[in-house]
Amino acid sequence: MMFLKAENISKSFGGVRAVQNVSLEVPENSIFALIGPNGAGKSTLLNLLSGIYQPDAGQLTFQEKNLIGLPAHRRVRLGLARTFQKIRLFKQLTLLENVRAGFHIHQDAPFWKNLLHGNSGSFRDEAHELLEFVGLESLAGERAGALPYGKQRLLEIARALATRPRLFMLDEPAAGLNGSEVDFLLDRLIQIAGRGITLVVVEHNMDLVMNVAQRVFVMDHGEQLFEGAPREVQANPRVIEAYLGGEFQ
Amino acid sequence: MSARLVSLLIAILVLAALPWLLPTPYWRGILVLCAMNVLLALSLNLVLGYTGQLNLGQSAFFAIGAYVSTILVKTYAWNFWLASLAAVAAAGLLGLALAAFAVRLRGHYLAIASLGFAVITYQVLVNWEKVTEGVRGIYGILPPVASTTGLFYLVAGITLVVYVLIDNLMRSPVGDTLRAIREDEVSAASLGVNGALWKAFAFGLGAAIAGLAGCFYPGFVGTLVPDAFNIIESFTMMAMVIVGGMGTMIGPVIGAIVLTFLPEVLRDFGEFRLMIYGLALTLVVLFMPGGIVQAWRTLLRSR
Amino acid sequence: MTDLLTLLVQQSVNGVYLGCLYVMVALGLTLIYGVLNQINFAHADFVTVGAFAALFTATRFGTKVLGLPDTGAYLLSMVAALGAGALLGLAINAAVFAPLRERGDELRPLIATIGVSVLLENFQLWLLGPIPYQFDSPFSLETIRIGRIFFTAQSVLVVVAAALAIVALYAFMKFTFLGKALRAVAQDRETAGLMGINPNLLIALTIVIASALAGVGGALLGPVLVLTPFAGATVIVKAFAIVIIGGFGNMQGTIIAGLLVGVIEAFTVQYLGSGLIDLVVFVLLLVMLVVRPTGLIAERKEENV
Ligand SMILES: Nc1ncnc2c1ncn2[C@@H]1O[C@H](COP(=O)(O)OP(=O)(O)OP(=O)(O)O)[C@@H](O)[C@H]1O
Ligand SMILES: [Mg+2]
Repeated sequence: MMFLKAENISKSFGGVRAVQNVSLEVPENSIFALIGPNGAGKSTLLNLLSGIYQPDAGQLTFQEKNLIGLPAHRRVRLGLARTFQKIRLFKQLTLLENVRAGFHIHQDAPFWKNLLHGNSGSFRDEAHELLEFVGLESLAGERAGALPYGKQRLLEIARALATRPRLFMLDEPAAGLNGSEVDFLLDRLIQIAGRGITLVVVEHNMDLVMNVAQRVFVMDHGEQLFEGAPREVQANPRVIEAYLGGEFQ
Repeated sequence: MSARLVSLLIAILVLAALPWLLPTPYWRGILVLCAMNVLLALSLNLVLGYTGQLNLGQSAFFAIGAYVSTILVKTYAWNFWLASLAAVAAAGLLGLALAAFAVRLRGHYLAIASLGFAVITYQVLVNWEKVTEGVRGIYGILPPVASTTGLFYLVAGITLVVYVLIDNLMRSPVGDTLRAIREDEVSAASLGVNGALWKAFAFGLGAAIAGLAGCFYPGFVGTLVPDAFNIIESFTMMAMVIVGGMGTMIGPVIGAIVLTFLPEVLRDFGEFRLMIYGLALTLVVLFMPGGIVQAWRTLLRSR
Repeated sequence: MTDLLTLLVQQSVNGVYLGCLYVMVALGLTLIYGVLNQINFAHADFVTVGAFAALFTATRFGTKVLGLPDTGAYLLSMVAALGAGALLGLAINAAVFAPLRERGDELRPLIATIGVSVLLENFQLWLLGPIPYQFDSPFSLETIRIGRIFFTAQSVLVVVAAALAIVALYAFMKFTFLGKALRAVAQDRETAGLMGINPNLLIALTIVIASALAGVGGALLGPVLVLTPFAGATVIVKAFAIVIIGGFGNMQGTIIAGLLVGVIEAFTVQYLGSGLIDLVVFVLLLVMLVVRPTGLIAERKEENV
């Protein structure tokens, strides 16, 4: 049984064919990298997988369950989580509030209890643990919008983890991070994967892709160019020609 | 004793003392009006402040509460409380119905749709004369309690209860969810939040509370005419929420109090009342976007 | 021609005339929305101010001071209304839209313009009082008859003015550099900025053009309206409905929807009574929002995530 499976999915915006006939299979407990030049359609593909967009055509299943037509918020309940390329935190809320919001689907207190008791302690400890995990515990009471860029990325990861995903998709998590931040991120991603969470990572950072991913999927102009192990990708002439050339000299 | 409990006790004491501090009948009347305005501001804040939905039709739900309760009492001889219950339910359900499709609409579309709903409601009140008496109005409406002070205690008490319940809700995970939607709906959806559902919930709850305020209004003034629920009513509620500080609990309360009493204090400038509202609305948005509450906090922090 | 057919044609003619009036007002709203993604709630009051500016020009300044004939004074009053609208547009851009644009949110500018609207209305109320003003166009007195269909010279003037405004607007958008730049800004502000277009200037220009249209709309509407400080508000709710029915920001849709609403209004008056106009228009709006929330003519847009 394939964990996440897309068959011939396509998506156009007006005249722009952002994703064309893409098929992919993500095995469980793997780190799956999605690469390609700017405008290749990687983010669009991620949006299709996570349900922000619906595809114009094609099949999409997660653990044999059909995802087509299922809105993003319903997919979260199946175990899909994601981060955004353009960071989308709740900027006016505190770090703690951001992470707490992530526990939404696990809240089960009856409504009257919220109304009469406030119930503000719910998932408090878990939220603090997640902040601890991404190294932001000491800033729990700060406004998310006031964080430096790199820390915002980490907060977004913590918030998504609060949904307790089985498949976690990250859109360029290392973009804009400095060297030590990238190392920290790498370490955390490996730990997340170690907990049995499958990762799909869109990345330009080749260190990250080549050293961490088990499978690499290359896109160009909305189409699949190649798929294979990192070493095969490095060796593939089409990929080098279309995209990687400069970065592998 | 927690700080919250202390504040609550102080609030109760102040409310109990107010009618004795403002002893003329006129000012006691203003007190009742103020309590009603606070309730209305709370209702709009739930929609505008906590879920970021631009609802320009809140006056319609106020009207529905007022007309349904009054007609049930006057025409069908219902008990006031039973009629109020029905009126709140009617306002809440109509709010849900409007929200059911309005929540699909983003920002400006919702603003215009809710404005449209307010216009329709107003027109129905004017035109459906058999039931509403149209522009002639309904006269001789009695309040649920005879004395103005009693009415103030009743409305203020209910408002306080509503305040505490909303405050609880906003401290609970439901509050986290609503604020998340306000901040970024796409992002909230990525966490499993059904934005449409929760927005409709807030919209319906806000409508029901506005309807509740509407139950007390006709008895207080004694008459009921459609013009009391003109679209400008929605705008004054909005001014209260914005001037006080939307998205906070205490902000709309302060806004409602300030904008109820300010025109009274400047009574000589009676004809400027609405000009003041308009100017305040614009200036606050431009220069004090968090309203009085945020300005106050900034002041405290800078010292 | 049968009586029924005459009636239908007559009401359609009345409807088109009304529709043209609404189009003048709604176009401005759509224009601003297209470029700025904002609603100017005070647009209504620009219509009112335009109407009053025209009134005083036509009845005082034009005739009494300049000694123009009635028709000349009325035509001059349209220019005055245009100027008044443009000035208000300049002012509201400087006071509200420009300062709030930095913060990029859709709630605050709308709320601020609601404040401006309330302020303007009540300021005019204080200045001019609540009693409706009488504003007759000299062209309303001349009736033109074709077969059994009647219409006034005023309605011809209105249709011509609206047509001219539309043609001028289209020509401007299509053929001038500024117009092309405007469309670029409407489509994508960042890219337009990269093309060396100053979006601030263009946005100001858009608002001024839109507001000038509202002003002229006021001059043309003046004779039709019960001219009080709140006159514009009765028109603007319909203009909003038109803009939504046509699809926010879509000029073609707005024009079609405007004419449609005008015709619907004419027939509502004929068959249901004038009290029900707003009801009919807004029920249509709500139905439209349920059935086709993107408007008559509109492509689906998806937020770029
Ligand atoms: N919502 C949208 N509306 C219109 N066009 C879009 C939208 N989203 C993406 N596109 C277009 O689709 C194409 C693919 O974009 P996408 O963001 O998926 O690329 P990407 O591979 O993520 O690029 P990058 O590396 O720059 O993030 C681009 O041409 C983009 O302009
Ligand atoms: Mg991308």
